[in-house]
Amino acid sequence: MTSAARPLRRQMPIGTLVLGGLVVLAFVVAMIRYLGGLGAASNLNDNYAWGVWISVDLLCGVALAAGAFTTATAVYIIGQERFRPILRPAILTGFLGYLMVIFALLVDLGHPERIWYLIIFWNPHSVMFEVGWCVMLYTAVLALEFSPMVFERFGLRQPLRLITRATLVLVIAGTVLSTLHQSSLGSLYLIIPDQLDVLWHTSLLPLFFFLSAVAAGPSMVILESSISSRVFKRGLEVDLLGSLAKAIPFVLALYLALKIADLGIAGEFDNVFDGSRNSALFLAEMVGGVILPMVLFALPAIRRNGMTLLLAASLVVGGLIFNRINVGILGFSRPAEAASYVPSWMEFSVTFGIVSAGLIAFGLVARFLPLFTHAEKAGEEGTAQ
Amino acid sequence: MAILFDAFKCTGCRGCQVACKQWNDLEAEITRNTGSYQNPPRLSAKTWLTMRFREIERNGDGLTWAFGRWACMHCAHPACVSACPVKALYKTPEGPVLWDKDRCIGCRYCMIACPFEIPTFEWEKGLFEGARIRKCTFCVDRVGAGLDPACVHTCTTGALRFGDRDELIAQAEARIQSQPERYVQHVYGKEETGGTSLLYISHVPFKELGLPTLGTTPIQERAEDAMFATPWAVIGLVTGLSGVAWLVRRRQEMMRRKGQSSEQGDKETSS
Amino acid sequence: MTNDWVDVKNSDCVLVIGANPAENHPASIAWINTARDEQGAKLIVVDPRFTRTAATSDLYCSLRSGTDIVFLGGLINYTLQNRLYNEEYVKYYTNALTLIHPDFKGPVDLDGLFSGYDHETRSYDTTSWQYQTEEQPVTVVKRATSLDDPNCVFAHLKKHYARYTPEVVERICGTPKDKFLQVAELFCATGVPDKTGTIFYAMGQTQHTVGTQNVRSMAMLQLLLGNIGLPGGGVNALRGESNVQGSTDMALLYHDLPGYLGCPTDKHGNLEAYSAKFATTSYWANGPAFFISLMKAWFGDAATKDNDYAYHYVPKVSGDYSWISLFEALYQGTIKGLVCMGQNPAVSGPNARMERKALGNLDWLVVMDLFETETASFWKAPGIAPADIQTEVFLLPAVDAIEKAGSIVTSGRRMQWRPKVAESPGEAMEDIWTLDRLVKALKDVYAGSTEAKDRPILDLVWDYGDPPDVELVAREINGYALEDVKDASGEVLVNKGEAIPGFSTIAKAADPSTTACGNWLYSGYFAPADDGSGVTMPAVKRRGQKDPGEMGFYPYWGFTWPANRRVLYNRASARPDGTPWAENKKVIWWDEEAGKWTGYDVPDFSATKPPDAEADPAGAGLDAHSGTDPFIMKPDGKGWLFAPSGLNDGPFPEHYEPLESPIQNPLSSVQNNPVITVYDTATDEEIGDRVGSADKFPIICTTYRVCEQWQTGSMSRTLPWLAEVQPDMFVEIGKELAEQKGIENGDEVIVTSARGEIRAVALVTPRWRPMNVNGGKVHQIGMVWHFGWQGLATGDIANDLTPHVGDANTRIPEYKAFLVDVRKA
Repeated sequence: MTSAARPLRRQMPIGTLVLGGLVVLAFVVAMIRYLGGLGAASNLNDNYAWGVWISVDLLCGVALAAGAFTTATAVYIIGQERFRPILRPAILTGFLGYLMVIFALLVDLGHPERIWYLIIFWNPHSVMFEVGWCVMLYTAVLALEFSPMVFERFGLRQPLRLITRATLVLVIAGTVLSTLHQSSLGSLYLIIPDQLDVLWHTSLLPLFFFLSAVAAGPSMVILESSISSRVFKRGLEVDLLGSLAKAIPFVLALYLALKIADLGIAGEFDNVFDGSRNSALFLAEMVGGVILPMVLFALPAIRRNGMTLLLAASLVVGGLIFNRINVGILGFSRPAEAASYVPSWMEFSVTFGIVSAGLIAFGLVARFLPLFTHAEKAGEEGTAQ
Repeated sequence: MAILFDAFKCTGCRGCQVACKQWNDLEAEITRNTGSYQNPPRLSAKTWLTMRFREIERNGDGLTWAFGRWACMHCAHPACVSACPVKALYKTPEGPVLWDKDRCIGCRYCMIACPFEIPTFEWEKGLFEGARIRKCTFCVDRVGAGLDPACVHTCTTGALRFGDRDELIAQAEARIQSQPERYVQHVYGKEETGGTSLLYISHVPFKELGLPTLGTTPIQERAEDAMFATPWAVIGLVTGLSGVAWLVRRRQEMMRRKGQSSEQGDKETSS
Repeated sequence: MTNDWVDVKNSDCVLVIGANPAENHPASIAWINTARDEQGAKLIVVDPRFTRTAATSDLYCSLRSGTDIVFLGGLINYTLQNRLYNEEYVKYYTNALTLIHPDFKGPVDLDGLFSGYDHETRSYDTTSWQYQTEEQPVTVVKRATSLDDPNCVFAHLKKHYARYTPEVVERICGTPKDKFLQVAELFCATGVPDKTGTIFYAMGQTQHTVGTQNVRSMAMLQLLLGNIGLPGGGVNALRGESNVQGSTDMALLYHDLPGYLGCPTDKHGNLEAYSAKFATTSYWANGPAFFISLMKAWFGDAATKDNDYAYHYVPKVSGDYSWISLFEALYQGTIKGLVCMGQNPAVSGPNARMERKALGNLDWLVVMDLFETETASFWKAPGIAPADIQTEVFLLPAVDAIEKAGSIVTSGRRMQWRPKVAESPGEAMEDIWTLDRLVKALKDVYAGSTEAKDRPILDLVWDYGDPPDVELVAREINGYALEDVKDASGEVLVNKGEAIPGFSTIAKAADPSTTACGNWLYSGYFAPADDGSGVTMPAVKRRGQKDPGEMGFYPYWGFTWPANRRVLYNRASARPDGTPWAENKKVIWWDEEAGKWTGYDVPDFSATKPPDAEADPAGAGLDAHSGTDPFIMKPDGKGWLFAPSGLNDGPFPEHYEPLESPIQNPLSSVQNNPVITVYDTATDEEIGDRVGSADKFPIICTTYRVCEQWQTGSMSRTLPWLAEVQPDMFVEIGKELAEQKGIENGDEVIVTSARGEIRAVALVTPRWRPMNVNGGKVHQIGMVWHFGWQGLATGDIANDLTPHVGDANTRIPEYKAFLVDVRKA
């Protein structure tokens, strides 16, 4: 079986220029940040120490890269072979996602050159410590899961064989690590019961973060497939994606049920409808990001159509981003004294720039590496058919 | 050791604030009067102590002008220490919560975690200067030399007292019990979030002074519970996932064997 | 202060009226809190505004700015009506029983005036205010035998104050009646022997056209309650600068000589005439001796018996040269030059726009200060074209207090020596160096002159060394013996060249001109004394911590004038029979065996005069006082409930409205203090002595200080850490008024008065409330006056709004009550 890359046509050279421009802009802003401090490149302040770069780049970046572990779990652990064709793109999305998170951290951290200190200085009490380690390890796992594409391309048979053998271990490790840190990103916020609005703060935060990631993973796969099918002029595997989407409404239903139960037990149900700004945000998030897509994905008609799949998936993804922004920024209450936080254009430019870099990288991989070919089934390499 | 702050005795003169700046050689900030004496309006990397000004009106003639101290509480179970991924923040046995500026990676999780909104960040420092968090050090250098913290030393009204925590708690309780019509009957910091080294007594509700209402459990216990569950989660997940994967493969193997045998059977029967 | 800062800890009730100690004297709260913690004392704050002192008080009571006489009068009336006064104290120690001239009439009968008023000259003929006397054969004051006598001071007092009822207090002061009664109950309870109350006051009392009478009211209340001369009592002024007490003691004011001797006027043609002004039947009988000693200090050998001890060298006061008059003269252009030492009139002067304009009329101006103040830079103020100013301005940099050695005096009369602890920057020089150079240069300029008018400069004794040694100055102020000082019997009191131990040496000296003393009141401060642990040093340098009696007197710490006495008039701390009023209020008492007064403080009394001593009407000085006359500086030895002399506007305080007031005086038809000078320069010009009325300026305004800034701000607005905590000029406005005007907290507003207009940040606060005054609603606002255009924290000058009018006696400007209007910018 040969794994020649299919010929590709660049569809939007202008688009690439725009993306490239955004990357350059992000680079420039990053330089401003390094020379002038975080205050020079953002509107972060002592009231709002974490802003767009954490709420969006980190939280969303990690959650939206969940497609990698959910798809890998589906294929390798649950044995759903039919999803194999979309596995590699999912892994690439995940891998690039995590690289983007690391770039974002390199901009956001006060001492980015000390990012590796987590390796030598340990505080097992800290959720951040766990997050950091899991992200480090999982990125390594993703790199290894990505490596077959490289090895194939360059005909490195021996490493390819080794990696293929280790696949199950890697996938199990990846799933474990992902479960841990997807949820612990939520645990980060456990420590602020009085600063985060009751509508979002709960002991179940880790579970909610995990569940939303599990729902967002496949949604991202749908999203990524829809976009790359357009860009690279490939067919959209609608039934595959429709099949993948079957699980989503169950996850969202579970999320919704738990949310209702949690608020009810804590006696905070009244807050949902009290007409305040936070209740409006919460309702928008739940209706648009949970209830609506849950209903949509439950309908077979939706799942059979590429456009509607994309719409529903976008709702989930948008809802997740909205949720992370609510938890990280909007749902926060800090003293009325001094600054509020409105992200500056520079913060957005870094976010968009990093995403653009990811998109460009995706495009490069699609062009130069066997992204859209099937991976060799484990244990079957060398078997001629 | 601890500091006792008596909000009734405080007259909001800001001697403590300026003394802190002077002792720690902190720059002054550019401020504006936006309708209050409170300046700088909040803590920052250059302001480790600021006083909150609160005009409180109650029914009838109950007008109070209360002044709340805002600076690190040096908790017994600090949320910031628990949150810091590299253990840059640490609690000393004597009381002060300090930080190692050579370890801080500037992730700012401590700023999020602290219920009192204490750690602040050097937003204007670039890569080469190193941007780190900053906060009150309990004047650990003065205390180590047998002196009292700069803020306590400057206070003329007796609103600030420094000494052994248990003694100060006893003093505080005696004082509030001797004047129940004046003082709120509670020593804030005795048990809040597991106890803090900054103790408050007050003639107005503590909320009015800007102090959050907290339970007695250390705040980070929820997060730490999640952390302690981690190893179990790992074991459980690994076991579970491996188990599922093994089951699935066995089933696939069995199905393949069945298919092969039937093929074979077909081949045998057809040949 | 009659008492002292530390002494407050002995008090049972601290009444703060017209002051804000938590703000401006923060260290004093330590002692107030000691009194509260250790003996359950209460802190009462009476202030138009809820201040930071009110925030820590036990009772806060509001009143309209400028109505203190009514409030205090209400307290006096309450004390009289409820018989809360210390009757024995009042009978023996005050002039309550003294009979007044039969022609005396007060505002009750004369609708706001006292007898003897001349409408033309706007002054009083005080003949009808005098005591009744009889010749026996020496003139003695006539006294009644009972407080019920209808002609005695006490009767007049009751009659005068009967009008100041709680209802009147509510009507005029705007103070709710029940609040006023709470204050009265709490404070007037200190009339009993074992309780003392103290009154803290500051500019809120003095900076009014009736300022002196405000202080009189406090003194009278304290006399009635028997709180003068006792620990934790007294009438206590919180001085506003670290050495303003020193400046008034050393007579930097035009009308005085060091030690409050009083400057000779053009009515005192010679030394004899001048000496005759001193009362012969009080300790002031020694005044002439002190004057002679002063002249010897100043002019040395040039002051001899033959030339009246150089009496003619001393300039004679021939008019009102107080601040406002000075600036009126500057405005007219009659003054050519001004030396301004550590003073910033461009910011601190009333009607500051006019005063800044007046500065432009000078030929030359010398400013000695640490920073380039607004005065030193008045010629380049915002809006001024430097080309229009013809004044030559010299700025001589001065050094900070800690960069030079010397002594300062606290409000409690305690003198403390401070060494130099820091080096001064650049070319900054100590004041003593600058003044020394100035005098030496003057001497050079006039050297060889034969004109009589130049002799004072040439004969001035000036040998403090080069560079001048402040300790030589101190020695002179303390006083030293020019020759062996002998008393009347020929015994040598002090050897030639030695420091004199106290002013009693000068008093006892047969020939006071054998002594040279720069300030009799300070005498003893630089003489060698024991610090309580056996070490000897100049008294003012001592830091001894022993405190016998534990009253907080600390007699070995520094030196308190006079003669190291902590509590003035402490004879009154003992009953007429010489035993203490109460065990916990002991200061001095009569020791029968030893035949002298003893105790924890230096007796403010003849040491060996027994309590039952009879007065000798023919005697000189204190011999004319009996054993129950504690007020030794008064001719009759009594505390004056009624003041026959010394005040221009009445022997009793009477309420008059501030010059600018929104209402008619409800008490009488005399609207303002009838003897104040109301200037009318340039009233039709944009900058001038304009007076505002309530139709255009309906809001009462007052000015005050905050803890974080200092006076005109030259030393504080230049410090980053202080500019940080109090960065902007602001005005505090009540919520109702702000809502009415559409002003929100933090808005920029414009405040206008008849004299000017300024911008400020509005602080909308519930701490200002509208008042119901005389049936109508009245609003008050207040502002700080620390700001100017120099320094890091800048802002408009509050005093651009204040009026060019002063108190009837002291001429201190009425900064505390004037009319303004405010609008959103």
